[in-house]
Parts: sequence; structure tokens; C-alpha cells
Amino acid sequence: KLGHPSELPPEPAPDYEGDEEFLRRVHHVLLEVEVLEGVLQCPDSGRRFPISKGIPNMLLSEDEA
Amino acid sequence: QVHRLRSVDNLFVVVQEFKDYQFKENKEHALKDLEDLVKKLPWTNPLKVWELNNSLKKKKTKRKKHNLQSPVSKEKLSDGGEEGGADQKDTNDQEDCAQNTVGVESTDSQDTEKPHGVASQNTGSGMELGDGQAAEGEAKVLKFRVTCNRAGDKHSFTSNEAARDFGGAVQEHFQWKADMTNFDVEVLLNIHNNEMVVGIALTEESLHRRNITHFGPTTLRSTLAYGMLRLCDPQPTDIIVDPMCGTGAIPIEGAAEWPGCYHIAGDNNPQAVKRAANNICSLLRKNENKDSSTALGVPLDIIQWDICNLPLRTGSVDIVVTDMPFGKRIGSKKKNWDLYPACLMEMGRICTPGTGRAVLLTQDKKCFAKALSRVGHIWRRAQTVWVNVGGLHAAVYLLRRTGEAAEERRAPW
Repeated sequence: KLGHPSELPPEPAPDYEGDEEFLRRVHHVLLEVEVLEGVLQCPDSGRRFPISKGIPNMLLSEDEA
Repeated sequence: QVHRLRSVDNLFVVVQEFKDYQFKENKEHALKDLEDLVKKLPWTNPLKVWELNNSLKKKKTKRKKHNLQSPVSKEKLSDGGEEGGADQKDTNDQEDCAQNTVGVESTDSQDTEKPHGVASQNTGSGMELGDGQAAEGEAKVLKFRVTCNRAGDKHSFTSNEAARDFGGAVQEHFQWKADMTNFDVEVLLNIHNNEMVVGIALTEESLHRRNITHFGPTTLRSTLAYGMLRLCDPQPTDIIVDPMCGTGAIPIEGAAEWPGCYHIAGDNNPQAVKRAANNICSLLRKNENKDSSTALGVPLDIIQWDICNLPLRTGSVDIVVTDMPFGKRIGSKKKNWDLYPACLMEMGRICTPGTGRAVLLTQDKKCFAKALSRVGHIWRRAQTVWVNVGGLHAAVYLLRRTGEAAEERRAPW
């Protein structure tokens, strides 16, 4: 959801540890891209957590906890 | 190399140490004794060490212009034995780390007149001005001040009085000029009951506030944070989490000293998170200056979260290190009764069974012991280090995660 959908496969391939190109892209997304404003979405519940100034707010509301 | 020690607050070279000095009961006599002492002290060698230290510092300050942190010399002190007088507490032994801050901590009592933070800019620029002149102090008139740290209840004088009178004698003896802010030599008079040490400072400001620019109500000393991290024995690629980071003292020290690990900081309080973020920015800016190329990132991230519901997968974290709320300035003792066990459970869940460890600082030892007894199946106490935090008797507990897997709660994730 970063605007680079074509670069990463939805799931890692079975031998991803040896695939350097894939590893580079994952490294880039994980460690070199910083989301400043946006949202983290839970894949199971769909619950969205806002990100503001690079900091995600993962606090749950009273009834969620 | 002595300057690279990260768990020491201050460095000074000892002029003379008095193990059992008898202070006169009468204030005037006691102070006169101190004044007379100045002439009798062996100043020559310690001053040589001070000069050596200065020339090393100058090489560093030439490159940096505006730097809030005291310069850390990376060059080896090659002085052939003169250095014997350096702070006797500067040991690298990790067991002693926290205890070292105990000893050194006592000098930071309310009697001290040390300026903090911004003052180092003055001393820094003071050094640069002196660059053109000879490194040796003989050629120009040195400026000095005396700082007295006094602890004990039987003295007839205050630290200010002692500093003033001792300073007067120093001025007479050396013909130096007294200057409280722009000084070259800082003479230390450390008095603890009947023990007295006269020294010359080698560090400009206490190193306990390095890396932090934005302080919160209970910001941990970086030196103590360093000691706690060492106790965890971080290995490269370890994931280190501080789930109650406050202003981020621990994760910031971690990212600065253990860049091979990934550090995650979190807090539920929005002000704390903001301050920690600001401190991280300051750290990034500092790295920028050093490299004068594109700024390198720092292996550190911050999240706003609730320690009782951490958005981290079970068994995914190697180390948890945190300063738990003492229940004094943050939270309350009553809240701790529920908080501590919940914390330990959640920290136990995210920590890798078998290899995981936690280093936790708290003053609420009773509550902690009780909470720990309830989670004996996931945490085992491996070591306890006693520390003095701002006058409070606190403890740092090293816990090891047992091999038992944590129960998989139905997480709201």
C-alpha cells in the first residue's frame, strides 16, 4: 500500500532468503521508507491505526482492550 | 580512551585524596585550613594531565562548532603514568556500572554549582579562542573556578563557603583569574563526611545527559541507561524494546552504542512520545554534522502503545529493557500493584523463550518482588544491582526468560 505494489509479491517465495533482489526490496520497504502520515491496518480485524509524524498510535479504546 | 567510557558521569584527575580529614568545628578555622591547604598540594602533575587532556579536547572542538555535548576524545591518552590519578571509579566492569553511578551520583547533590547543557557551548568556544595560543597554561593567565560538592551533616561550613575560600587561596597561589562561566581549569573539592578529594575536572559537564535534549519529568541518566543495556549483553541483530520509554533515554543510548541491534521504543503518553521523537531527531542531526554527507538513519523507532497490549508478536523480541514507573512522579504505588504483574506478563509474551532477557529498573521493590513471584513460570531473576536514582534506593533486575512458551492470548490484532 505504499505506492510500490508492483515491486513486492504478496507473499515471500519459498527460498526468499537467497533471492537478493527480493531482499533488497524488502529491506528498502522495511528500513528505508518511513511513513510520516498514514495508516497501519490490521490484516485480521481491519482495524486502522493512524500514523502521525512518523509515529503510529496503537492505543486501543476502552472497549477494544 | 578514558573519555570513551560511557557509564561514568565525570572524569577528574586527583590532586590529593584525604581519607580521613578532620575538619575543625569552628567554621572560620575549618575554612582557613582549606585555604592553607592550597599551597601544600601537589599541583604540578595533575596540571600536566589537565594540559594533556586539553590538547586532546582542542583537536576535537576544532571540528565541531556548536555542539551541546561535551567532546569525547578518540585519541589515546599516551602520558606514561601521569594518568594514575584519574577518577578511581572509571572501571569498565559491568557489575559496577550502576554502582559507579551511585558513587558519582552523590556529587550531584543540591550543593553543586555545575551549569548544565548550554554552558558547554561557552566552554567549547572558550577553547577555540585559545587555539591560537600555546597549549601550555604558563604562557597565559588561566581562568578557573572551584566547585565544591559536600555531603555530610557535621561540617561547619557550606559548599559555597568552602568553594569561595578555597578559590580565594587558589587565586593567590597561581595568580589565575576567577571566572564562573568561562573557565579553563575547574578545581573540584569533593567532600564526603571526612573524606576529601581535591581534583581537576577533565570533562566539562557531566556526561549523564548526553544524547538527550528534550527532558521529561523523570528522564533517566544516559550513564545509567548505558549500564542497564550492558547488563542485557546485546548481541548484533537483537531486537531491543523499551515499552515504557518516556523520553527515550534507554533506546537512544542503545541505538547510539549498539547500532547493530534494532531498538523499538514505546509509551502510552503522547508528551513522552513527542519528547522521545524530538530526542531522536537531535540524535539524527548530530550524526549529520559528524559525517557531513547524507545523514545516516538510526536503528530506532518509536510507537505510541499500551504496555498491557503490545502490538508485537509473541516471542519476537530478544531484550526488554525499561525504567518502570516508581509510583512517585509517574503513576502511583497503588496502580503499580496491577501494572507490574500485567507488564511482566506482556513482556514475557513478547520475549523469546529461552534466550530472551529483561533488565528492569524500579524503586518499588516490594511490588516488583510480588509481581515477579506470580510470573515465575516465565521469568527467572538472574541478578540484582542496587542503584541510587536521584536519592532513591532503586534496583535494576536482570531477568531471564524461561523456556516455557507464553500462553497465546486472543489478541485484538
